Amino acid sequence: MNEIESHESSNATTNCVRCQSPLESGDLRCAICGQSAPRQRAIAPKQLAVKILRCTGCGAAIGYDPKHQAPSCSFCGDVVKVESIEDPMEQTEHYLPFTVSEGEARAALREWLGSRGWFRPSDLSARAQLTGLKPLWWVAWIFDADALVSWSADSNAGAGRSAWAPHAGQNEIHFDDILVSASRGLSTAEVAVITPGMNLSSKQNQPEGADQTATIEQFDVQRSQARQQVSAAIHTLAAQQAERQFIPGSSFRNIHVAIILRRLVTRRLALPAYVLAYRYKDQLYRVVICGQDKRLIVGKSPKSVIKMFLVGLVIALIVLIVLIAMANG
Amino acid sequence: MTAELAESNREKLEISCQSCGAKLVVESHMRSTLCPYCASPSIVTRPPSDHRPSPTFLVGFVVDHEHATHRVKNWIAGSHMFARSDFKAAVPELTRGVYLPAYLYGAIADTQYSASIGENYTEIETYTTVDSKGKTVTRTRTVTKTEWRDLFGNHSCYVVDVIVSASRGVSNAALQAVEPFDLRAMRRYADSFISGWLAEEPSRTKEECFALAHDETVEKIGQMLGQFMPGDSHSNLQHQTQLSNEVIDLVLLPIWTYAVRYADDCPPVQILVNGQTGQVGGKVPVSAVKVTFAVIAVLLVIGFIILLIAMAQG
Repeated sequence: MNEIESHESSNATTNCVRCQSPLESGDLRCAICGQSAPRQRAIAPKQLAVKILRCTGCGAAIGYDPKHQAPSCSFCGDVVKVESIEDPMEQTEHYLPFTVSEGEARAALREWLGSRGWFRPSDLSARAQLTGLKPLWWVAWIFDADALVSWSADSNAGAGRSAWAPHAGQNEIHFDDILVSASRGLSTAEVAVITPGMNLSSKQNQPEGADQTATIEQFDVQRSQARQQVSAAIHTLAAQQAERQFIPGSSFRNIHVAIILRRLVTRRLALPAYVLAYRYKDQLYRVVICGQDKRLIVGKSPKSVIKMFLVGLVIALIVLIVLIAMANG
Repeated sequence: MTAELAESNREKLEISCQSCGAKLVVESHMRSTLCPYCASPSIVTRPPSDHRPSPTFLVGFVVDHEHATHRVKNWIAGSHMFARSDFKAAVPELTRGVYLPAYLYGAIADTQYSASIGENYTEIETYTTVDSKGKTVTRTRTVTKTEWRDLFGNHSCYVVDVIVSASRGVSNAALQAVEPFDLRAMRRYADSFISGWLAEEPSRTKEECFALAHDETVEKIGQMLGQFMPGDSHSNLQHQTQLSNEVIDLVLLPIWTYAVRYADDCPPVQILVNGQTGQVGGKVPVSAVKVTFAVIAVLLVIGFIILLIAMAQG
């Protein structure tokens, strides 16, 4: 089967000639702009040639078979291996190390429980029992990109008889080290709180800073889907940035963006976090602490029912007094 | 170049089958053939030229012959009520599974647009009417009105995956009828994929295909802009698009072609089946008799109603 082209692909270091985004192994075309990837080996014939492809097993001619989606020999049934469509599962490239120790995480939790505001039960810090502490490397894509964003929207700026006026514009946005979570273990809200503490320059090839029991999350999407997710995130971020910076006015609707993306570089990272569970009066609560900054904590804590009831009662009394005063006045 | 292309298209190539030695004639617009004696598949590779570039990509056949024929039969039987009866009863004849040359076009589109954007608002309006007792009364109602404002802007985006037919045998509209192709399953072209199948060489020039792709792209941009406009409604949407950084790649697409001969005095109808998705496309011949009868029937019903009204009033 020497007729079949050997697996050839552009290597990961080549960039798309049109949008300068890196092409990855097996890419036939740039995922961003559709430019075809360069061939590494040209096979243009110099002169006219006629050939029959033969099975290496039995010598019979082979033809493409729709059932196998590949050329196969109709005599011996041998299927020719062809360049497959590559859509591998995403793999973590780098790990950020834990710089917060388990002891520090525990202490941070205690401190956090003590600062839960007036509504917290008075005995929360004393009675909360830590039932689990798990170091977790959660996965995310980090990307850099330049984007030319065309936007259009309605806003209240310049509104006439209608509450809305149309606006449109075009701006350059540079995205630098933007994180898109791929984690199943952490919620979007948890990720948003702990992300600012990550020092991306500390990336390493191996997970470090936690013991063997640490959970290492894996990406569970294929490359094509990952690209869709990153691209959708870029779209959302661009719309948000347009709303914050570019569109005049203070209230908005019908925000549309069109993007020309260049130099999109995506890295696949695993980031450290502690997932803690504590029990307070038979109820379990979950807290997540950034593995590189113990001040970044997100989680749930109980509220004192008695305190809330008392506050409600006081408010009701005040309202009643005001009403009576108004009725008399 | 067109003359040159036509010239080269007339040339036929005589080859001898490498399996049984039989003499075979390969039409110059074909890339592959099957020996009628021993069924050996031959692939012809010609030096690429401007008007006959080598294919870059290929979408392989997924739908086999049996499945395609089944889809065509269902499609013919399910064609609309004005289709000719002899067409509905016709048996499709297979001409073959063929890899159709097409160009895959992409570009950066920069567009300047202008439009009138309608922003709705409500007003309370007073009006006079007659109530149930016959008195004239004044009432209020909320009405929605539209304020029109001009909007000018620029829109830039990538346009990818515009497919235009590079074969004179299949018009661009006919190909569009069986689109879309799932281009995620596209492969880099290799001779082994067309082995045992017919594969056509492009018979339209690149320039011609560029022009077709431009038109399709501008149309696509128009649709995108319609979605892009803010406001509750818009009108007078006009746009001027410049296409830059264009790329065009030759791709071979899997197509089953059928000819349906339904009457001796009419040319056969070409029906295409998307060899990847099974989508069927073609022009259904309309029965003049059926349309005439339908028009007469509608006119009769209208006449009857008018008659009834006239009788009721008289």
